[in-house]
Amino acid sequence: MLEKLLFGNLTLDAIPLHVPILMGTFAVVALGAISVLLLITIMGKWKYLWNEWICSVDHKKIGIMYLILAMVMMLRGFSDAVLMRSQQALAAGHAAGYLPPEHYDQIFSAHGVIMIFFVAMPFMFALLNMVLPLQIGARDVAYPYLNSISFWLTFVGAMLCNASLFIGNFARAGWLAYPPLSELYYSPDVGVDYYIWCLQIAGVGTLLAGINFIVTIFKMRCPGMTLMKMPIFVWSALCAMILVALAFPVLTVTLGLLSLDRLFDMHFFTDFAGGNPMLYINLIWVWGHPEVYILVLPAFGVFSEVVATFSKKKLFGYTTMVWAMAIITLLSFIVWLHHFFTMGAGADVNAFFGIATMIIAIPTGVKVFNWLFTMYKGRITLSTPMLWVIAFFTTFAIGGMTGVMMSVPPIDFQVHNSLFLIAHFHNVIIGGVIFGYFAGLIYWFPKVFGFRLDEFWGKLSFACWIIGFYLAFMPLYILGLSGVMRRINHYSDTMYQPYFIVAAVGAAFIGVGVLFQIIQLIVSIKNRKALRDVTGDPWNGRTLEWSISSPAPLYNFAVIPTVSEIDQFWLDKEKHNLPNIHDIHYQPIHYPKNTPIGFIASLFAGLAGFAIIWHMWIPGVVGFVGMIAVLIARTFMTDIDYYIPAETVKETELAHFKEVANAR
Amino acid sequence: MTLMMKQELINKSSFTCFCNHLFKLGVFLSLLTLGGCNSHLVGMFAPKGLIAHQEHKLFFDTLALMMIVVIPVIIMSITFVYHYQVSHRIRDYKPNWSHSYFLESLWWSIPCVIILILAIMTWKKTHELDPYHKIIGIQGKPMLVQAIALPWKWLFIYPEEGIATVNYLEIPVGVQVEYWITTDNVPMSAFFVPQLGSQIYTMAGMRTRLHLIADEVGTYDGMNTQFNGDGFSDMHFETHVVEPAEMQRWVSEVKKSSNYLTDDAYKELLNPTVGDKPKYFSKPVPELFNNVIMLYMNSSGAVHPRSNQLKFEKE
Repeated sequence: MLEKLLFGNLTLDAIPLHVPILMGTFAVVALGAISVLLLITIMGKWKYLWNEWICSVDHKKIGIMYLILAMVMMLRGFSDAVLMRSQQALAAGHAAGYLPPEHYDQIFSAHGVIMIFFVAMPFMFALLNMVLPLQIGARDVAYPYLNSISFWLTFVGAMLCNASLFIGNFARAGWLAYPPLSELYYSPDVGVDYYIWCLQIAGVGTLLAGINFIVTIFKMRCPGMTLMKMPIFVWSALCAMILVALAFPVLTVTLGLLSLDRLFDMHFFTDFAGGNPMLYINLIWVWGHPEVYILVLPAFGVFSEVVATFSKKKLFGYTTMVWAMAIITLLSFIVWLHHFFTMGAGADVNAFFGIATMIIAIPTGVKVFNWLFTMYKGRITLSTPMLWVIAFFTTFAIGGMTGVMMSVPPIDFQVHNSLFLIAHFHNVIIGGVIFGYFAGLIYWFPKVFGFRLDEFWGKLSFACWIIGFYLAFMPLYILGLSGVMRRINHYSDTMYQPYFIVAAVGAAFIGVGVLFQIIQLIVSIKNRKALRDVTGDPWNGRTLEWSISSPAPLYNFAVIPTVSEIDQFWLDKEKHNLPNIHDIHYQPIHYPKNTPIGFIASLFAGLAGFAIIWHMWIPGVVGFVGMIAVLIARTFMTDIDYYIPAETVKETELAHFKEVANAR
Repeated sequence: MTLMMKQELINKSSFTCFCNHLFKLGVFLSLLTLGGCNSHLVGMFAPKGLIAHQEHKLFFDTLALMMIVVIPVIIMSITFVYHYQVSHRIRDYKPNWSHSYFLESLWWSIPCVIILILAIMTWKKTHELDPYHKIIGIQGKPMLVQAIALPWKWLFIYPEEGIATVNYLEIPVGVQVEYWITTDNVPMSAFFVPQLGSQIYTMAGMRTRLHLIADEVGTYDGMNTQFNGDGFSDMHFETHVVEPAEMQRWVSEVKKSSNYLTDDAYKELLNPTVGDKPKYFSKPVPELFNNVIMLYMNSSGAVHPRSNQLKFEKE
């Protein structure tokens, strides 16, 4: 009895000793982890790691941790993609490939979940954390401690997802786990439970982060920065975060109902006893469709910043851009049904949602033209961030076009669930979101780390990515129109095989691109002295983040800036109106103390999640109560802030000014 | 504005034609070069029914309409980037030019017009091609076929003919067929014969409907498009479109069969299997299709109505 309460359904059989691929992966991961831990121990960095990173509430460091999480998870998500591409390239005719369905089905489910929740979302929050407070002239986000909780919850969710590789298995029901397939009758194992709980935990983290950034944008802007004078990236973040705050509760409730079905035999979404699977499918897309705009809006913000900076020209049509984003934000909530026109709804319903969907193309098109005319009569420098933007125009135009095509219900009746759809959404998510985030990362990298990334390897990697992308996804359009479905494990008509082989070659090219990105990082770290950003303004930037040193000091701004125009920093530079460094009056700066609470509470949340997955009721209660107790305990702590002395601020600033002077 | 719309509509029709041919040519060439001599056009490239033809046309019309925006974007993005590079030392530099009522109204209004045209097309075509309604312009009473998605195979019941088949669909050419579709003991699936047109989901305890017609004799691939578990990839069926007379012969042939679709035979079909060869039954259980739906609608127990069936054995 006690054993059952402690360990639930978890036995040693849950470890997939008989699957060589998994055990090989496990060996590599374990070796990697052990060597990292050893390295930290040898270098005596445990204390540093704990104090400066794990307990940190500094938005810049939290941003870096989000970034590392996104990069590591991207390697895993990409490995899944390579497995799928190679399986489909091989499994034609009578060949069955090397991945049996029960394994393959987990791979495509995990690929989608990881790429959206644990790559794109952390990547977005990385950029937001690294840049947003600096752009609005703030010293941190509104709730630094909440920020730490948000990150660690996301981290724990990702780790739970990874744990399913080696303990039990992951869901085999696709990235949105449609019932009744995800119900207990058709999926009796722990896979769907892993899915539910890794997303529940990460989802709460995301919701908290969304609220945090909304408050930050509304309350922390520097004097003079009215809403219509905010940098456009901040506007894009505001729109995305409003969507987070409205959409993520829907996800939480939907997954909550599904877990009630699975844990307590309720019948919200079962296909018998009064349940209705279509209810789940509606609800999950009420969250799911805004989710893609949550991802792409900040990327739009990045494009706007990068295109203006590297064209040395003011962003064209700022007001139009803001309104376009506001319209997209609104419309993204009334189009969810286009994901299932084939449900059998009437023509009126389908036509309404189809037309609502294609209307989104209008503001999006407007944005594209504004970007193009920002370049028109500008002075364009083709640095790596700009290259990603240029590739984005064509790629996103094609992706947007196929999107509008699929919004016409009768066309969707032909291409729904086919590889045409897969090609479409990779076209917009890679071409829009990932290209944008890469551009943003390279653009803001010096601000965060103090040195630029190597241009040569950056351009090489860009070339591989672009070639790889088109090779990997254009064949899928043709396959989709030929009637090849998504999620197939094998196919009997060998006529399709050449297309799948081309797609696999494309994936290989992207793989080389990823490899070059890693080399780029290593080379840049090695040459960091030569690539050092001394001035803090390596690209001749337009917004406030470039007015301070790189990397930004702990307190961001020694003196809170005042603005009266959009692109104030650019105007000040034009008019040689920068503040005189000798006139600055330094004051002590109020700052939050680091705290381990976010980390500890998240670990308890992770324990609770893992325990519910395996029906381990005692650890489950411990985890849940522990999490609440730790969070309450924190509210009694009074020693949570301190002042950075004016002297320290002065020394830091003067050191920066000296470095700049020496460089001149 | 109306003038512009007209102009666009005129441009569209010739442009559609051009696009259509260009796209087909491109696809055909790539198929030839990649697929060798065995290749043939399939899926949406080779529509064989009225619905599929219309959807095919709509696809290329929409493509053409979208090109009005997409092509300028691609051309502008390349030419602007090329032309205005710093190294080209273009004198014409306007760092603070960031607003133009004329230009901005232009690219708000052109997409609006395009989407308006597309929206009208969408409203019209969505209603015309509504899978639940009889096909417009086709006379005569539709033939009824009841399809049940089973783990992982398709059962087709011909209630008027008194026969049933597994993974084999035979329909007469030029005759409208109405499909009633549901699911038993397998998660939500979808019924789709790409060359005939629309697909539709299949759900337990519900009946979805679809009207299709074939206008050319031949054998076409049919499939499930909605992932529904381990056997998903093999859930295909053959669709044979034949002359009505031949269909009659085939029906009377199958009717003579002593392979009856009894309750027991149906229970046997409910057990999960993968890649079943076609099977033919006579005398299906009366009202089988409705009973399957009612079983799920009326079930109120704690266990799944089919929980006593075998589970899928993994190799």
